[in-house]
Amino acid sequence: MTGLELAIAAFALMLVAIFFRVPIGVAMGVTGFIGTWIVLGRSNAPLSLMKSLTYETFSSYSLSIVPLFLLMGQFATKSGMSAALFKAASDWLGHRRGGVAMAAVGACAGFGAVCGSSLATASTMGQVALPEMRKRGYADSLSTGVLAAGGTLGILIPPSIILVIYAILAEQNIVKMFIAALVPGILAALGYMLTVAVYCWFKPEAGPALERVPMGARIRDLGRIWPVVVIFGLVMGGIAADWNWAQDGVQALFTPTEGAAVGAVATGIYGVFSGGLTWRGFLDSVLSAASSTAMIFFIVLGAHMFNSFLAFTQAPQDLADWISGQGFAPLLVLAIMLVTYLIFGCVMDSLSMILLTIPIFFPIVQALDWTILGYAMDQEQAAIWFGILALIVVEVGLITPPVGINLFIINSMARDIPIARTYAGVAPFVASDLLRVVLLVAFPGITLWLVGVLF
Amino acid sequence: MSVAPEMERAVGGVIEKCARWLAYGGGIVLAGVAVMVVLSVIGRALDGVGLSPIRGDYELVQTGVALAVFAFLPWCQYNRGHVSVDILITQFPSRGQAFFGLIGDALITLAAFVIAWRIWIGFGEKFPFGSDGLRAALDMGSRPFFPETTYELAIPMWIPYGLAFLFSALFFLTALYTIWRALNWTLQGRENLV
Repeated sequence: MTGLELAIAAFALMLVAIFFRVPIGVAMGVTGFIGTWIVLGRSNAPLSLMKSLTYETFSSYSLSIVPLFLLMGQFATKSGMSAALFKAASDWLGHRRGGVAMAAVGACAGFGAVCGSSLATASTMGQVALPEMRKRGYADSLSTGVLAAGGTLGILIPPSIILVIYAILAEQNIVKMFIAALVPGILAALGYMLTVAVYCWFKPEAGPALERVPMGARIRDLGRIWPVVVIFGLVMGGIAADWNWAQDGVQALFTPTEGAAVGAVATGIYGVFSGGLTWRGFLDSVLSAASSTAMIFFIVLGAHMFNSFLAFTQAPQDLADWISGQGFAPLLVLAIMLVTYLIFGCVMDSLSMILLTIPIFFPIVQALDWTILGYAMDQEQAAIWFGILALIVVEVGLITPPVGINLFIINSMARDIPIARTYAGVAPFVASDLLRVVLLVAFPGITLWLVGVLF
Repeated sequence: MSVAPEMERAVGGVIEKCARWLAYGGGIVLAGVAVMVVLSVIGRALDGVGLSPIRGDYELVQTGVALAVFAFLPWCQYNRGHVSVDILITQFPSRGQAFFGLIGDALITLAAFVIAWRIWIGFGEKFPFGSDGLRAALDMGSRPFFPETTYELAIPMWIPYGLAFLFSALFFLTALYTIWRALNWTLQGRENLV
């Protein structure tokens, strides 16, 4: 059996195991273990790899950003920031048709700036905004749909756990990835608001307008979101701003991991002073962060095992060489990759998809020449641009049936709303996501210009 | 029908407590790491006025986070926190679903065993004590000439490895218990995760 055949067989077997409910981390790990054994011909090879692999993976400095950001996000959910954000946004937008739904989007975007997880964003904002929208007579489908979609802003707007994992796998600069995600993330929020406006233009009864809030109250409530602004500014400013112009390059105040630690401590301190983060709340935060952290590191460990097996077979490189040798149009290849994500996203979670596919897709992306509408990208730019596109399409998986975890989270908060109505409500937002992907594919400059300005 | 359901519940209670407290401990270490980093960053920013970054902050982050992650593994497994794809399985009767859950738990247990076993071997390579006879009996290999340490603070690596071994052993025991639990779920015909 050639390396490529072995890799394909192993990949197929692993997918079968995954579809029979084998936890994804263990499916990747066991397949990688046995595959390495077969390629190298002895069981000693993967076994001696395992002596240090687990500890080295868990003690990786760049991965240590993940539990710190998870802890920060958990503190943020307890700190009352979500309510302040929603109040301020609905003051400013509530008097428009569909305004409270737009406010929910705005608040999700704000919360996404201090939380790197879509699930935490969806559930936190859902608790605040869903009762409010229902009280104001908003249609069930719009209320649940907008919150499920808004939740994805948690990961589209930096900090973002998935982007950290992508950056590590593709050996890219995490800071540049975060910067690149900023404009597409804001576009996502604006796109969702526009979707709400269009929706309510066709169905005015779905999102009744509220009374206009006086300017004094608006400004007062806007002032209450200062902790979000300060913490986001501190974290992003610290990791991305240039603090020493005298020297070449960007002299940042701290590394992304340190930024995550600063964010966690700042959010925790604010939580304690705002009264939301009690000792009990701290312990709850720890348990939630513990579960997500262990889940993520376990998959990453399995993926390490599997990817080192793939590297031994040289299959990813062979595949990339073959594809670039065939002279396929790069855009066709890109479309196939993105559609693969959309299809798998219907049943699989975003992190697993990234870990499974990037080792295969990334060499292909790097092997092709990218010039789109006259915009030529070098290898690093293509890597950043592809990472943002992949991030968006895997996040669409969170809101596409049958398995869209955000849909379930929001639906579990309003059990009287049939899930089918939530599915219908989220459809326009999925359309907005797809439109945005097309836009970002056609104009890579949208993603890349801010990186170019800052670095 | 089920295998010693009362005893399973009692053992489950003990496992839950151990996993929960270990996770709390890991969380406190993680929060401590975050605070340490903040102090170090402040020290570095103000090194003009006599402060300084904390020595070895980089490796303290690595060691602290690694131990926290090991400490989180049992809690995640106790709550079946590892992601799986359930879409196909939901077409099966509930007993069938429970059965595939059992297979998943068994495979996690196997992985947990390999992880703990290999970390033990790694620990042996870094642990510079013990007589040859004892080391051979415990499968620790030959004694290292130079015990490996961290770069700045020279923390002997056998300390974090030893803790990591303890935590992964608890992960293995938790996973072993979840097999029992999943077996009973399969026999009873449905999963009953609180």
